[in-house]
Amino acid sequence: MILLKGVRVFDGEHLREGLFDILVEGKKIERIAPKGSLSLGDGVKVIDLEGKIACPGFIDIHVHLREPGGEWREEIKSGALAAYYGGFTTIVAMPNTNPPIDSPELVRFVKLTGESVKGARVLPSGSLSKGREGKELTEMRRMVNEGAVLFTEDGSPTVRTDLLRSAMLYLKDLGVRVMEHPEDPYLSENGQVNEGRVSALSGLKGIPSSSELIDVERCIILSRELDVPIHITHVSTKEAINAIRKAKEEGVKVTCDVTPHHLTLDEEKVLESGFDPVYKVRPPLRTREDIEALWEAIKNGVVDAIATDHAPYHVDEKDLPFEDASSGIASLECAVAVILDAWDRRGRSIPLEKILRLFTSGPAKVLPERYRGLGYLREGGIADITVIDIDRVSVVDVSLWRSKARLTPWNGLSLKGWPVLTLVEGELIQ
Amino acid sequence: MEWRHRHLFDLDDWTREDIERVLALTSEIEGILNDGGKALPSLKGKTLVNFFLESSTRTRVSFEIAAKLLGMGVINWAAASSSMAVKGESLKDTLWTLESMGVDVVVVRSSWVGAPQYMARKLRRARVINAGDGTHAHPTQALLDIYTAWKRFGSLEGKRVLIAGDILQSRVARSDIIGFKKMGSEVIISGPGNMVPLNYKALGVRYEPDFAKAVRESDIIYLLRVQKERWQVNAIPSDYEYHLSFGCSEETLREARGCAVVMHPGPINRGVEIASEVADGDKSLILEQVRNGVLVRAALLYLYLGGDA
Repeated sequence: MILLKGVRVFDGEHLREGLFDILVEGKKIERIAPKGSLSLGDGVKVIDLEGKIACPGFIDIHVHLREPGGEWREEIKSGALAAYYGGFTTIVAMPNTNPPIDSPELVRFVKLTGESVKGARVLPSGSLSKGREGKELTEMRRMVNEGAVLFTEDGSPTVRTDLLRSAMLYLKDLGVRVMEHPEDPYLSENGQVNEGRVSALSGLKGIPSSSELIDVERCIILSRELDVPIHITHVSTKEAINAIRKAKEEGVKVTCDVTPHHLTLDEEKVLESGFDPVYKVRPPLRTREDIEALWEAIKNGVVDAIATDHAPYHVDEKDLPFEDASSGIASLECAVAVILDAWDRRGRSIPLEKILRLFTSGPAKVLPERYRGLGYLREGGIADITVIDIDRVSVVDVSLWRSKARLTPWNGLSLKGWPVLTLVEGELIQ
Repeated sequence: MEWRHRHLFDLDDWTREDIERVLALTSEIEGILNDGGKALPSLKGKTLVNFFLESSTRTRVSFEIAAKLLGMGVINWAAASSSMAVKGESLKDTLWTLESMGVDVVVVRSSWVGAPQYMARKLRRARVINAGDGTHAHPTQALLDIYTAWKRFGSLEGKRVLIAGDILQSRVARSDIIGFKKMGSEVIISGPGNMVPLNYKALGVRYEPDFAKAVRESDIIYLLRVQKERWQVNAIPSDYEYHLSFGCSEETLREARGCAVVMHPGPINRGVEIASEVADGDKSLILEQVRNGVLVRAALLYLYLGGDA
């Protein structure tokens, strides 16, 4: 038994008044009671967390674990542990591996491998099309039975609209949704940076905002027409997030996530750094105005989740001239701090609850019904708990990461607000 | 006076005084060469490697001749037969290998934007000179263009420079815009809309879609090659249609100012952006640009490799 002593409690929706003790027994949360009100027997490990905030375990619905076929970049083992140390208790593994996760057997492989390693719970997602070729639907029903929680062509958009529409209808009664990587493949082809000031000055091929917006509008149109939910991942532009806001106001069942890097880094970083490839990512880093629009959307409840899109590469694939380097930012082990730090720098003007929902009940709602409970902290629930200290200051040191990634834009930066203790199914990993 | 720049990536971090220093030194070198060349400064014992990952005729040869004028050793590293191309050696290891053998300056041409910056981050001692990085920058071209125009006009203050054609993908345009503006010129651009960056205002230029009108108003008419090899879709439907709207013909030029000159970074595509009569005509400074390229590069090598001019 573990007692988390003197914590503030964020239950998934609200930050409760007062301090509490949380008693964990086995895999479950036994009691959440006012501080000092529980009479404890022997054998309780008491952890004093006075004033820190206990939250439902954080969920990241967009993580690249690279296994199978890219184990030099990351493995399920290293990624699950990295996630745990980053404060996450549940992560969704993307299916753009080699081979892609496009069969029930491969879904089972990810699921079983995840269960065999220490760290965050690994939930598989499935490739929407066989071989990620964008032509034929995968065996989605069998894959759902094996544990697939989302279907996506991530890394690429679902190019054929007929295939996307068919997948949405096929999944309609299964309670599992499509996650779309919004991009027009022709507009973004060979794109390196945002189309704007930086592309004009550098000559680097720009990816226009319209590339994202066209696909987002397509998803909204289909969702409205079919009355089927769809999730749009890594929204990066003002135009796209505004389109999603309007659709939501209208009642369209669209959900979305944004990444820590699109919320904190702008396109100017590419120039300021002399084309440092750590800033190369898709969708590209956008403008200050886009960043403001994304925060505004967080404030207004338009954003459902923060997801890292943790995309680890080996240093030999990343530390290259900008145009030759791979696209992707690794952030699993500092993402929570990046967000809490940005929230702090913005004067803590957004209620903390709104930020914490994006790591908990928000992403849980994107997952199938049976995982919704992971987004809440309550007696009798699974003891997935992330405790954060919003005042803790620490420096990002990528050389200490459990992830195999050795490059990240935040390396060496001092950030304020970190996860300080994480329990997965009642367990503390040492 | 010591030269304050360690590497040459682009002219954006240069001052007008930096450019003027290059112009003065180039002019001095030109004078010495006209007198038989005996008094040229020497960089004997220094070694330059022409590190060209992309094809080039004039820039590579120009650097080679410039280096030899100053008594430098020159290595023309051949990309196609290198261990990098054939044996999978990384760029980083290739650079460290060359540096270990004593190379003092790496002149790099690459299709990758930012390759010179990357190389400078990896090299410990050698200097890097950007001889064109993808669609980004080509500062030595800009300096030779400025030198050529400066020789012709005396001062570039208040002169109007028209840069026309494939601005979007032109490293020459980007560096020339920066350079000419620093010298006090006004730069206008012209070309079809799909060859102009959407955010061209970030470059500090005015866009004039009417090429003939832009020609009439300008002192320097700088034409760019249509870089078809870089296009994803055919941005121009035909060479002939392009020539009719944005090509510089004798007829277009007839309306130009009396003092106007025509420049082009080469290679030229006759009958597309420039008519043969214009390329070979008396307003053309194209071959003078090429000749000056050697002088400007000699001046740059001298500044970067520790001569005190």
